[in-house]
Amino acid sequence: MFTPAPWRLITDTALWSENWPGIPRPARGEIKTRYTNCALCPAGCAVRARLVGEQPVALMGVPAHPLSFGALCPFGLTGHQLPYHPERLKQGPAHEAAEAVANAIAQCGPNERIAVLDLRPGRTASWTYRRAMAAVKNGVYLTAPPPLGGASVNLSAARTVLSIGVPVLEGWGTPGNVLAARAGFRLIQAEPFESRTAALADLWLRIKPGSGRALALGLTALLEGKAGPLTPAQAAAETGLSENQITDLARDLAHNGPALVLAGDDLPEAVPLNRLTGAWGESLIARAEAPVPESWKKAAPPTGFASVPDGSIRALIIDESVPGDYIPWNVIAPKLVPDNPVVVAIAWSRNGYGRHAQFTLPAAVYPEMTGDAPAAIDSPAAAFRIFTPLVPATAGMVDPAGFIASAAGMNASAALRERADAIHKAGRGTLFTYADAKSTPVKELKPEDFWKALNQGGCWMDAPGKPAAPVKYDEAAWQGKPPAPQEASDLPLVVALTGMPGAAGLVSPLMSKLYQESNLRLGRNRAALNPASAAACGVGEGSRAVLQTLLGRRPIQVTLSASTPPGVVEVEASPDILDICGAFSRARVAQS
Amino acid sequence: MIAANRNNKAKRYGMTIDVDRCTGCGACMVACAVENNVPPAHEGATERKGITWIRVFKVDNGEDYPGKRTVFVPVLCQQCGEDTPCVHVCPQQAVEVDPATGIVGQMPERCLGCRYCMAACPYHARYFNWWDPQWPAGMEKTLNPDVAPRMRGVVEKCNFCHGRWHAAKQRAAAAGKQEIEAGSYVPACVEACPAEAIHFGDLSDPAADVARRAKDPASFRLLEKLHTEPKIYYSSQRDWVRRIGDPPKPPMGEENLRG
Amino acid sequence: MRIPGYLVFCGGALAALGAGWAGFPHVIYETRPQPVDFSHKVHAEKAGAKCEDCHSFRDDGTFAGVPALDKCSGCHAAPMGTTQAEKNFIDGYVTPNREPQWLVYARQPENVYFSHITHVKLGGLKCEACHGDEGATDKLRPYQQDRISGYSRDIWGTKAAKGMKMDDCVDCHRQHGLEHSCLDCHK
Repeated sequence: MFTPAPWRLITDTALWSENWPGIPRPARGEIKTRYTNCALCPAGCAVRARLVGEQPVALMGVPAHPLSFGALCPFGLTGHQLPYHPERLKQGPAHEAAEAVANAIAQCGPNERIAVLDLRPGRTASWTYRRAMAAVKNGVYLTAPPPLGGASVNLSAARTVLSIGVPVLEGWGTPGNVLAARAGFRLIQAEPFESRTAALADLWLRIKPGSGRALALGLTALLEGKAGPLTPAQAAAETGLSENQITDLARDLAHNGPALVLAGDDLPEAVPLNRLTGAWGESLIARAEAPVPESWKKAAPPTGFASVPDGSIRALIIDESVPGDYIPWNVIAPKLVPDNPVVVAIAWSRNGYGRHAQFTLPAAVYPEMTGDAPAAIDSPAAAFRIFTPLVPATAGMVDPAGFIASAAGMNASAALRERADAIHKAGRGTLFTYADAKSTPVKELKPEDFWKALNQGGCWMDAPGKPAAPVKYDEAAWQGKPPAPQEASDLPLVVALTGMPGAAGLVSPLMSKLYQESNLRLGRNRAALNPASAAACGVGEGSRAVLQTLLGRRPIQVTLSASTPPGVVEVEASPDILDICGAFSRARVAQS
Repeated sequence: MIAANRNNKAKRYGMTIDVDRCTGCGACMVACAVENNVPPAHEGATERKGITWIRVFKVDNGEDYPGKRTVFVPVLCQQCGEDTPCVHVCPQQAVEVDPATGIVGQMPERCLGCRYCMAACPYHARYFNWWDPQWPAGMEKTLNPDVAPRMRGVVEKCNFCHGRWHAAKQRAAAAGKQEIEAGSYVPACVEACPAEAIHFGDLSDPAADVARRAKDPASFRLLEKLHTEPKIYYSSQRDWVRRIGDPPKPPMGEENLRG
Repeated sequence: MRIPGYLVFCGGALAALGAGWAGFPHVIYETRPQPVDFSHKVHAEKAGAKCEDCHSFRDDGTFAGVPALDKCSGCHAAPMGTTQAEKNFIDGYVTPNREPQWLVYARQPENVYFSHITHVKLGGLKCEACHGDEGATDKLRPYQQDRISGYSRDIWGTKAAKGMKMDDCVDCHRQHGLEHSCLDCHK
């Protein structure tokens, strides 16, 4: 009692319990800064990483960047945690897959195809795939249809923006750029359900699901001043708006210009509409790509699944190594040969095409990966920026470009350097370096310095002006047949898709702040229902239920949300869900 | 334990949040979690048991389409300046108002987990560690060394990124200065916001941006009638948004404040 | 012969006190050797090094702490003296490029924030004020680690150096009128 013994035992036990092995200790070390570009979406925002020793512990934007303005979205802010995601793929049968592909190429019949599906076209790796498919007999290079006919948007040149279902304020374009330009335009959102963009828009027009096309045609008729496929009265009936609303909208677009109409890749009618509003050449421009080496020009052209005959693809290699738009499996499956097609998916996790592919190979995750990003959709000029790895890649990762190039008998390991050299040779544009926020014309740099600066955090931007000729948009190749309208009888609900496009990639476990620890977003496998609709379906808050559509069923967990309209089921657009429903599909929810 | 700081003039750090600019993206929420070593949700965590030092709420004006209007409001510890409720009730003196910066500092290492402060806080801005923090294997390498992780059983809340305050003071000391450089200390949420909706600074410095914005007639604070004198000023050009700062009239059909 | 009760009591009390004061420290503390038998005196005298040559500050004010291997390898790529200790060091650490796992006497809990540069540059403190005259020692003190809490015995203070616990810091801060808020030193 009069010795230190018992008191020390008490205090030491208390101290031990404060630091017991369950609590991790942050590592200590020198604080360093490194720069790269984000690979999680086509925006490719500039990133400043804070490292302790050699380990990134935080990511922030680069405030002086002329396009991203230092903004990063929640996914970009947690990107450094992705390499440790529990669902990340760590191994896969690379040799078997390569062998299977080689056999398929050898046995490919005259009417069959070898195909590469690229979920994010425009990269240097995309050029490698195009060259590989040109080198392979019957090779075809497939991507998702480009929105707006492949044009790019200059938001700061628009005074009125009509968005038909495009999530302008939720992960479209470059967040920093969209928000910096936001005060300069009036946003009219035409959408059936209240997305975040609709809630924040200056005007929300609640059109009926699937009536975006009717709205576009109605506006076209009004702006052209002559009869078209739909009269304004018919458009009003189909969209559920009043004829006055459509006329006011057309007047808005005509007089409060420059006006811009944004639509997804499923609405090619937006392209001629933009010509009528005068957006072409002002806020909608055909933008050239960053220069490529001459020897690369012999490459397969991008095309869509609609241009491929049914049952003709013998081998399909899917590059899912950067998040991109997911093409539902029911579009792809009919195109594969009926007997033993070879499907290889190179991905971060098994959640996307890994559920359907024969071989799923692990790809390096951001920020371990190398690669590049072309300019984002809202960048007025062409751009080239490289992803510099912030951490060394885990062993056993497969580089999709390397895999596909070697399948075609090519070596494309120096492709990025060749592209940078071609850009330097063209002599146009400026290099913006992140560390010192300086812009240097490319002409004043030596090729080695240009390459080095790009790898240490930089971005090449083309000189403004001189828009390219509009890209020829082959509707048949991209769109194919429109989907048949669905019967409503026993499927009383309409599906509203939410969520970040390209959610086939991983998102950091810390994103639970947004969907589990708050109700800001909808979590994975969660469906939001209005309480009245939920009662009608016989489910309640947290019920385990089944979402059934014409194409299949999925297990979901129900969340009640008063802001979801009755008759609608909101689900996150994960690949799982996209395989059974598209936008505005009919569905039913029942207790499981 | 409160002695006047003879070297620096006392500051009152505060924020102004323009809710007209907030898009509800949640970048502030995740940047805060990254900076302050807040772990990802435990399996049992819900929106009531989760830890979100800053949380964005979606609030609407109660009408239906076409009159429905929505606003996103980030709520964090309001850093109450007057009669700070949590400081009053803590039996352990684990919270205190720093006279030099005005920041209400929560010390999880002193907390015994009685959660009295959580009951006292009118803004529901305090969070309890129901479970030991758990990071997926390997992800603990991404922890920030400037902030200590907390064990289970203690309450935590926003401290205006105190780790960054320490780093700014250290940089100033390296240059031989007592005062930190203006603009060298910004919390993670302020730096992360893509819409630049949040501004931070010294409210008592007449030259500071935040001081000017706080005096703007479009500014309002949450639950001003409670006289807690919070240092977070929200601003909106819309009347109905400015009224959300008033306490709800009881009883309403549904509780709309959770926590 | 019956031993009187009070003698038994006194004997027992003395034994217990002896166990508590003299014996208990051996039970609760585990002595661990430092990885290298390093002599501060040799480096201070023969190499003419001052504290900050190896225990340096970086540009942003952070303290590098105990130097990493490359600081030592800068001079000791080849043996510079004749001692066995140096040979052990080169064979065991420099050649295989292995970082010595030094045991830090003043290691604080995770929730403590201490800024060396504030105390050195703004406070004008010399290293010896808190760490004692370490530079004159020929051998590193034995590192005695508390078996339960994991902290070093040195935080209680030694003959040479002040204690490293919160009370010791607060004493000095109080004397100089620099007590402000908990979060100044906690994180």
